[in-house]
Amino acid sequence: MRTFLRFLVRLFPPSFRAHFGAAIVEHAALDCERDLSRGRLAAFRSFLLTAFDIGRSAFSERLRPSWAAVPVEKEGTAMSSSFNLDRGGAELRHAVRTLRRTPGFTATVVGTLALAIGTIAAVFTVLDRVVISPLPYAHPERLVFVAAEAPGSEMTGEFGPAAEFYLQYKEASRRLEDVATYGTFTNSLRVGDRVERVRMAAVTNSLYSTLGAQPALGRLPVASDGDRVAVISDALWRSWFGADPSVLGRSYEMAGASRTIVGVMRPEFQFPNDGALLWVVIEVRAEGLQPGRFGYNVVGRMAPGTDREAVAAELTALARGLPQRFGGSPGYARLIERHRAVVRPLLDEMLGPAARSLWILFAAAAIVLLIACVNVANLFMVRVEARHRDLAVRRAIGASRAQLVRLQMAEALVAALLGGALAVCFAGLSLPVLLRAAPAGIPRLADVSLSGRTLLFTLLAALLSGVLCGGAAAWRGASPNLARLREGGRGSTRRRRLGRDGLVAAQTAMALVLLIGAGLLMRSFLALRSVDPGYDTRDVFTFQFAPEQPALKDGPSWARFHLDFLARLAALPGVTSVGIVENVPLDEGTRGDRFRSEDMPEGPDSGRPLNWTFAAGDYFRTMAIDVLDGRPFETADHLSVHGNVVISRSAAQLLFPGQRAVGHRLQQQGQPAWHTVVGVVEDVMQYGFRDKPQALLYFPLVGPTPTSWSITTPAYVIKTARAEAIAPEVRTLIRQVAPEAPMYRAYTMAGLAARSMVALSFTLLTLGVVSALALFLGALGLYGVLSVVVAERTREIGVRMALGATAAAVRRMVVAQGARVVALGVAIGLLTAFVATRALSGLLYGVDAVDAPTFVAMASLMLMIGALAAYVPARRASRVDPCESLRSD
Amino acid sequence: MGVSLLEFHVLLALASGALHGYAIAERVAADSGGTLLPRAGSLYRVIARLISEGLVAESGGEVEVPHPGLARRYYALTASGRRTLGDEARRLKQAAAAAEKRLGLARGRS
Repeated sequence: MRTFLRFLVRLFPPSFRAHFGAAIVEHAALDCERDLSRGRLAAFRSFLLTAFDIGRSAFSERLRPSWAAVPVEKEGTAMSSSFNLDRGGAELRHAVRTLRRTPGFTATVVGTLALAIGTIAAVFTVLDRVVISPLPYAHPERLVFVAAEAPGSEMTGEFGPAAEFYLQYKEASRRLEDVATYGTFTNSLRVGDRVERVRMAAVTNSLYSTLGAQPALGRLPVASDGDRVAVISDALWRSWFGADPSVLGRSYEMAGASRTIVGVMRPEFQFPNDGALLWVVIEVRAEGLQPGRFGYNVVGRMAPGTDREAVAAELTALARGLPQRFGGSPGYARLIERHRAVVRPLLDEMLGPAARSLWILFAAAAIVLLIACVNVANLFMVRVEARHRDLAVRRAIGASRAQLVRLQMAEALVAALLGGALAVCFAGLSLPVLLRAAPAGIPRLADVSLSGRTLLFTLLAALLSGVLCGGAAAWRGASPNLARLREGGRGSTRRRRLGRDGLVAAQTAMALVLLIGAGLLMRSFLALRSVDPGYDTRDVFTFQFAPEQPALKDGPSWARFHLDFLARLAALPGVTSVGIVENVPLDEGTRGDRFRSEDMPEGPDSGRPLNWTFAAGDYFRTMAIDVLDGRPFETADHLSVHGNVVISRSAAQLLFPGQRAVGHRLQQQGQPAWHTVVGVVEDVMQYGFRDKPQALLYFPLVGPTPTSWSITTPAYVIKTARAEAIAPEVRTLIRQVAPEAPMYRAYTMAGLAARSMVALSFTLLTLGVVSALALFLGALGLYGVLSVVVAERTREIGVRMALGATAAAVRRMVVAQGARVVALGVAIGLLTAFVATRALSGLLYGVDAVDAPTFVAMASLMLMIGALAAYVPARRASRVDPCESLRSD
Repeated sequence: MGVSLLEFHVLLALASGALHGYAIAERVAADSGGTLLPRAGSLYRVIARLISEGLVAESGGEVEVPHPGLARRYYALTASGRRTLGDEARRLKQAAAAAEKRLGLARGRS
């Protein structure tokens, strides 16, 4: 570390360094030791800041010296005054002068670096804010999310624990300091005349202590408040209440009950995400609790000094006692035997798959930066070759190797810093575009903006790029071959060529890895788009509205209201058909319960767990869901109690295996009524196109008794070619029948389909752009190198042509040289991609991570582009005039 | 001649006697209530400037906070530095008084 600091301190002018260098190193090292006691991450961060500060100070010191004391004696030999490089800033001035003399070269170098650094700076800004920075709660590293799994039981995969788990954890866990449970939902908020459905969360009061959150205004709910209080978000407070502090103590209708606002949270309190606008209280009590109702979210704070495995083991053991304490069915007891608690960092849970997408993007941007650096390094190498004589002369008259290295490095560093400065502008411009393309649901994305950390990162990226770009050239330039002074500086050495070819091969390989990644995502995207989800998303508009009319208190009158409204919608011009469903696919999930056929025994664990919803109107026709047997619902099914039900194909197979389902009866657990199957329809994918089609039961709008279904808000679906434009007319109709009811969750089904794929399409889009950039830069690099090779070999080519080589033979020779390098790069790239594409596996669909056609196609594309990039210099070579080239000496 | 905030605090830190660099940083952090946390690079640039302007001098003299380890350089106020610190403190006091007066008036009116 001290070595690194000493290296950094060398950035200061020598006179300053001689006096203060040792003190700065010592001081910074002491700082580091002190910071280490605050944790390794904090120390590292502080060290970066210190390093940055030294760099910045050194830079300012060179621009505006603050040290005017007597200059120290020069180290090393005396030098001729014409290029005395040891005085502070001389290298920099020299570098700036050289760069200004060759504006074309400088523009290329600075532009390339600005593009690449700007890309990675923009991605870093998002990554830093969303993924890296900790949650805004006290000791966020101790916050965990608790889920459950029970392999081999009927609950597949991971699921949310039930309320009794929370109680057990809260009372008995020693490794969790505090536990809370919460759920989010959409419900209406009424403030005066304004009624809207907003996202809210129901949380136990322990949530605030678990997270360590305090309100900005007012207080937190306490147990004696009961559930008739709420705290609101800073966003809601500002948008609905004009940031009026007197809102505390007032009551409004929230989620169907009047609740008193007792507190306003701080702006950074966004739990579980920035969508939640207010938090109401749920009380979980042991009395009368029915065990086995899974699906709660549990968040806990680990005690200091414990880890997640230990917590998981403890919680798993605690859950074993649940059946004894809360009872429940034998099936519940069996499930508990297999139950294992899953404990992971809360941040991971909140980020979900977004973190992986962003890391992939960051890696891709890093590769592009590497490719850009390789290109620029090649340009500097070529330039060093061109300046070989100049360097050799300097060396011959006494410049030290270190001075020549500094000369080269200063040039690369100045160019990289210029590129970095431009990159900040570029990142500032591209960030809003990136944010707009980003999928909804990435937490904390709204707060992303260029920060001091972005600037720091950009500076480091620029310095690193400078070192990478200048390093190769500096190394070459530092030991000029003095013998070549005599020769007249001609000919090319094998070592030099190997270095350049290696760089081109490397960048070809990196570009190919990105191309293959983009290709795999493209194939997944196409595969997902051609999935048949069981319904048709084209030309369908969906919305919900919640009439609050006291007359709609029983099933039949509620059904009649909606059927009447369906008729009004059907009369709109251009509407083909309309229907109702409780939970529209791709937007909402369906509820689950146990159902049994007449052949199945009665009992708490009998029958099958199946999801159900209800539907009316021409729902199946509107969504183009095939009716396989029997008939869909008719209007009469909804208006009086017939006990009819329509079930999906898989549900029929599960309940009535080997029989025709139509005409058979089924029963919901805990309900006395039997329902007769009148139709069988195709399964649908409820949650997204990656899921398996789901078994589903559709009930009519009225249950076996007029009050047997709680009255909720169904989603309407309208099939019309004007799906994108029909919303205003629908709103007008709603205002006629229910003036107070807001319209919400209004989407086109095509829009919902796009939303369900947005994580993939975002990664695809950004990776596509980035890999196109990589391909372009890679081709540019190959072109540049071959151009130089051709220029160097002009004489040789001239001789060959004078001796009878045809233009075609010369072209072949040059293209072959390029092709060899590209082929090597492609081979390396294929091997790398073989391993690297595994990072994408979570996003891929219907295509293997090592999909042969994609690999072959992208490798061919790379070879083709390589050949194209080689062809232009080849043509130039074939036009060499033998007389001209031989005369040029 | 103006004195920047950090320069003022470095002068202030040296007001009670000579200190070495690390002790200056700690004193500045304490005096400013943790709002100024100069890192090594910036700190020594400020010290260099203060020396160049003759406000601070290196002192071989009395050691206030002994620290094991390296032989350290100690820095002390010069007479001119002490004067500048005093002038700047008076200037700050006047400015603060003016600000409080004006803010007080504004509050009284509303």
